[in-house]
This record gives sequence, C-alpha cells and structure tokens, in this order.
Amino acid sequence: MAATYRILCGALGLGMLLGGLAFFASFFQFQMPNSPGLGEPLPVGVNGIYFVAFTGCCLVAWGGCLLGAARDARAAPWIGTWTAVALVLNAVYRLMVWLVGDYHALGNLPRAEAAVFLLLALALLWTRPAKSAV
Amino acid sequence: MLRWLGTLVILGLLALTWVLPGTSLGRRGTEAAARMEAAGAGPFVGQPMPPLALRDLEGEAIPWETLQGHRVLITLERSVDW
Repeated sequence: MAATYRILCGALGLGMLLGGLAFFASFFQFQMPNSPGLGEPLPVGVNGIYFVAFTGCCLVAWGGCLLGAARDARAAPWIGTWTAVALVLNAVYRLMVWLVGDYHALGNLPRAEAAVFLLLALALLWTRPAKSAV
Repeated sequence: MLRWLGTLVILGLLALTWVLPGTSLGRRGTEAAARMEAAGAGPFVGQPMPPLALRDLEGEAIPWETLQGHRVLITLERSVDW
C-alpha cells in the first residue's frame, strides 16, 4: 500500500511540477511580440494569463510537496489527503462544466476527467500509510 | 472515520458522474433534435407575443401592456438559475 501511495504521489507530483512550469513559462511566451499566447487551446486574455501563471506557481509547490511525499511519506502524511480533497473539488466543478451549455463543445471530457480525479482521490485516501505506520 | 466519510463523498460523486446523463438535468440531445423541437414551439412571426414577467434593472416589474404597440428589444443573458 505504501509503495502504491508513493508511486501515486510521485506520478502526480511530477505531472503537476511539469504542468506548473509550463503554465509559468506560458506567461512569458504570452508577452512576446506577436505571440498568440496560449492561442487556440486556452484562449485567455491578459488577465487570464496572469492567473494561469499564478496557477503554475501553485502547481510547482503542490507537485514539489507530492514528490516529497513520494520520497518519504512520513515527512507529511496529510499531503495525500489534501491532494484528494483538491481532486474532489476539481471533479465537482467539472461535473458543473459538463452540465453548462457553454462547455458543450468539450463533450464528455469533463465528466470523464471528473471520474478519473475521483478514482485518484479514492486511491490516495486508501493507500495513504496509516498513522501507526508513519 | 474521516477516511470513510471522504470515501462516501467520492463514491457519491462517482455515482453522479455515472447516472447524470440519464437524468432530466443531464439529458442533452443533438443540435438537430433541438432545432426540430424549437421549430414547433412558437410563437411565430405575425403572432402576438405571449405575456412575459419582465423586470427592469432596478427590479421593478414592467407591465406587459406598456410595451404593446412599441418596438421592444429583448436580450437574453445566460446564467445558472440557482
């Protein structure tokens, strides 16, 4: 169980760290002359890219914490639990997105993502080392 | 205890992702179906508009009769009806 937990934390942490750095870098790309910014995939404006960069910085911290938990789950056993909480919140707004017509073009993607996040949250919750083992 | 509580919440949401498409809230047809449904809904050009309960920006009710005989532009804003 602890090995599964560490693998989960490691994989999630690495993904978040890389995603966060990409978001952070996108801000600077957006400022370049004639840059389309994130362009078609993420049509954000000047304020949107500001928050994308902020999100990237947060993801770097979150990913770093998860990588720390992957190396040593004893260091901060609550990281997995709070990551599960955030994943559930992600799933909740994706369910709302699926219902709102503005996101109709996304099809069933938000619903599928919500299911994946919920399963990940469940896995984190149940593979987290027990307090006695920490 | 908290772990079980969290599990219950997650399982509930997982069930929601599964059953949502089958509910009236989540049932979404194709654009073609929506157009066919709208085509027979009316009112049609030349027919009187059915009365609507309208409010101005201050929230005051606008009597429907005061609009009759005037050109009225109605804009619809998207929102979630909580």
